[in-house]
Amino acid sequence: MENRICIIDDEEVVLDSCTLILEGSGYPIVTTTDGTRGLQLVQESQPDLVFVDLKMPGISGFEVLERIRAMDPNIVTIVITGFATVGSAVDAMKQGAYDFLPKPFTPDEFRLIVQRGFEKRRLVLEAIALRHEKELLREQFAAIISHEVRSPLAAVQQSLMALQMELEDRLDEDQKKRLQRLQVRIDDLLRLIHTWLRVMSVDESKLRETFRRISVATVVSKAVESVQPQAMRKDIEITTSVEPLSCAVTGDEGTLVETLVNLLVNAVKYSHTGSQVQVRAKEQPDNLVLSVADTGIGIPKEELPYIFEDFYAGKTGQMVEKSSGLGLAIARRIVQAHGGTITVDSEPGRGSTFTICLPALE
Amino acid sequence: MATPKKLLIIDDDPDFVDGIKTILRKAQYEVDVAYNPKDGFKALETGQYDLLLLDIMMGRGAEGIMVARKMRKDTRLREIPVLIITGIREQIAFLFPGEQVHPRFVAVDELVEKPIEPTLLLEKVEALLKEAKVKKAKAT
Ligand SMILES: Nc1ncnc2c1ncn2[C@@H]1O[C@H](COP(=O)(O)OP(=O)(O)OP(=O)(O)O)[C@@H](O)[C@H]1O
Ligand SMILES: [Mg+2]
Repeated sequence: MENRICIIDDEEVVLDSCTLILEGSGYPIVTTTDGTRGLQLVQESQPDLVFVDLKMPGISGFEVLERIRAMDPNIVTIVITGFATVGSAVDAMKQGAYDFLPKPFTPDEFRLIVQRGFEKRRLVLEAIALRHEKELLREQFAAIISHEVRSPLAAVQQSLMALQMELEDRLDEDQKKRLQRLQVRIDDLLRLIHTWLRVMSVDESKLRETFRRISVATVVSKAVESVQPQAMRKDIEITTSVEPLSCAVTGDEGTLVETLVNLLVNAVKYSHTGSQVQVRAKEQPDNLVLSVADTGIGIPKEELPYIFEDFYAGKTGQMVEKSSGLGLAIARRIVQAHGGTITVDSEPGRGSTFTICLPALE
Repeated sequence: MATPKKLLIIDDDPDFVDGIKTILRKAQYEVDVAYNPKDGFKALETGQYDLLLLDIMMGRGAEGIMVARKMRKDTRLREIPVLIITGIREQIAFLFPGEQVHPRFVAVDELVEKPIEPTLLLEKVEALLKEAKVKKAKAT
């Protein structure tokens, strides 16, 4: 790929020397002494690197920078400053310019900054390509999992169910138990795959289309109900306190229940037998605050920054139970789609409190 | 019960088909199978079926949908109850953007996910057959 440069400076002599310096390098250069014309050139020639003089008659260098950014934020811009006004150069860099070149400059200084600019541009383009690839991979991965992995598993499970029915009066108790265990294992796998697909398919903009007025009390009670069996098995009591709200909350009930369920499952999973888990809903100015508090094993400080990431399972977590590290990632996506935040406060050995803040409307 | 009810399964996964076929036969249903949408639709046109079990994700995508769309256009086939069997519920949602996850594309239909619990399968089939019968009785 060819690296293209555009230089916008009202001093004809600067343009000439720059062109001369780069002569022989083979980089196509376009130049102009006028800001407005410069913007036109940028549009037409799609340069990789643009030099902009901050002080020009007519439209200002700052405005040129801003418009280039609006056109294509991935174009690398470098400002040329006339008198040694580092101050305005810093301002320009705050606005997204990559570097600055003080006048007067030597040919070597100019060559060097051009190289650095191109290097930056290469990195920017690479990052974009990577992001794009990751997105594609995510989509393909979802398709592959659902088709190539889930379907055969479902077929196996269906046949096991049929077998169990057919052999009802021919198998002894032990054989029946083994057949049942097979089904449980496959169920676990199917559920895991479902979770993977879920984390990849939570589409935040699509979710927003299904928002309507919701009842916080319903969300809480549905979530608690679905986790109750697991809690009972560990003799954990889930207490709830839902304050009446003065304002309405909009959102998607199904996914909010899912979020709370994920937090509750964790609270139960990472707590000691016989302990308590507390769910609270209360109102703060402009916010609905939902929290799930446990007195379990807690989370080490060094793991806290990562627990909301895809596939991150903590060390302490894994000692307790096998896990896939997706529960919180899904929760985070759903809460974000609601314009809210999810945070954690935890102390190893004492317990964790997860808090969701949702903007309450009206 | 006089004559057994006749069911047709259209699904391209033979192992899955074996699973549900066994369950349905054990419950005294007569079961035919087509392993692709084309044969399936032909069978529907020529045979006299009381209910269709239809897989959505067949072949290179959602080819099962084509069967359902063609059925909707045919005055006789439109009346056959359909149990739609899908790998994943979300796939259905994306096929009918903006519509309820339950797609009423024929008079009587219902949606279940693979794999399906034997008792649930039999319940759904029975319920659909009954619903179709009630509807027919009202019409005449
Ligand atoms: N209430 C909690 N107490 C202690 N540790 C927790 C708690 N909740 C989460 N963690 C830690 O954070 C990690 C990530 O949690 P997350 O719910 O995302 O995944 P997971 O529970 O490991 O797996 P799954 O996908 O089954 O939910 C856990 O592995 C665990 O180490
Ligand atoms: Mg979890």
